[in-house]
Amino acid sequence: MILKKSFIIIISFCLMQFLSNNSYTVEPDEVLKNQKQELRARNISKNVRCMVCQNQSIDDSNAPLAKDLRILIRSKIKDGKNDEEIYKFLTDRYGDFILLKPPLKLSTLALWFFPFIFLIIGIFIVFYHNKKSKNF
Amino acid sequence: MKKQLIIIPSILFLLILLTFFYLLIIERNPSEIPSNLIEKNVPKFEAESLINSKKFISHDEFGNEIILVNFFATWCKPCIEEHIYIQRFADEEKIRVIGINYKDNPKKTIKWLNKLGNPYSNVLLDKNGRIAIDWGVYGIPETYVVNSKGIIKYKHIGPITEKIYKKINSLTKEIK
Repeated sequence: MILKKSFIIIISFCLMQFLSNNSYTVEPDEVLKNQKQELRARNISKNVRCMVCQNQSIDDSNAPLAKDLRILIRSKIKDGKNDEEIYKFLTDRYGDFILLKPPLKLSTLALWFFPFIFLIIGIFIVFYHNKKSKNF
Repeated sequence: MKKQLIIIPSILFLLILLTFFYLLIIERNPSEIPSNLIEKNVPKFEAESLINSKKFISHDEFGNEIILVNFFATWCKPCIEEHIYIQRFADEEKIRVIGINYKDNPKKTIKWLNKLGNPYSNVLLDKNGRIAIDWGVYGIPETYVVNSKGIIKYKHIGPITEKIYKKINSLTKEIK
């Protein structure tokens, strides 16, 4: 019985955590009337780093700067700017760091490909080691 | 080969450890992000002034002399700490300092400047933080050094200390 109770408590706690993580901080006055435009704004905001908290997107952050950027993105969408233009506006001012997913550039090649290179080296070492052990 | 299999990963691991140790002991702030505006022209903007009614137009003001641009607010405690150095830039070094008053109450700012002294040649109002975004500001106080061609040469995030004061001073002499 006790086990069942604690199980229910743990599950409800996890569910609460899950729901709270999915809630967003966009305030009602920020939301655009046009649903399509609002969806675009949300998608862009999810990929833009909050420069104050640094490990959250501006879509999740309560920081005043995150709010300012959310409003700015929405006003740019209303002005008819496309996604690339909005990202460019942001990276021109805050650098690529403002993007949660860094772009593939010459300077970020190592970042993108080192994990694969290490994986290949790892596979090679394991494979070679196994082959050697079998020979003994 | 078996020996190599142990030696190579150990050396790699040691190198990674040394790198982490080096990053730990050097003086740096890991949350500080380098500015994307260094070596670029100052952003174009227009702003209301705190004291006079004349509109401030950026391309009329920058490009003639070395200017410091300081983002501050009366609600920002570190801004009080660094105010003495801002005053020294204006009084002792005769450098023009433009203050950008970030999301503040103009009445409080006037009171604040009357109490602490006004080192700024212009105090511009950034009521909604839009000018700060154009400058890539993410936490005040922030100070920019702009050369006589209107190009941003340096940005300091956080309050100016004695060390930073000396650093900015030698930089302004260098770019004169």
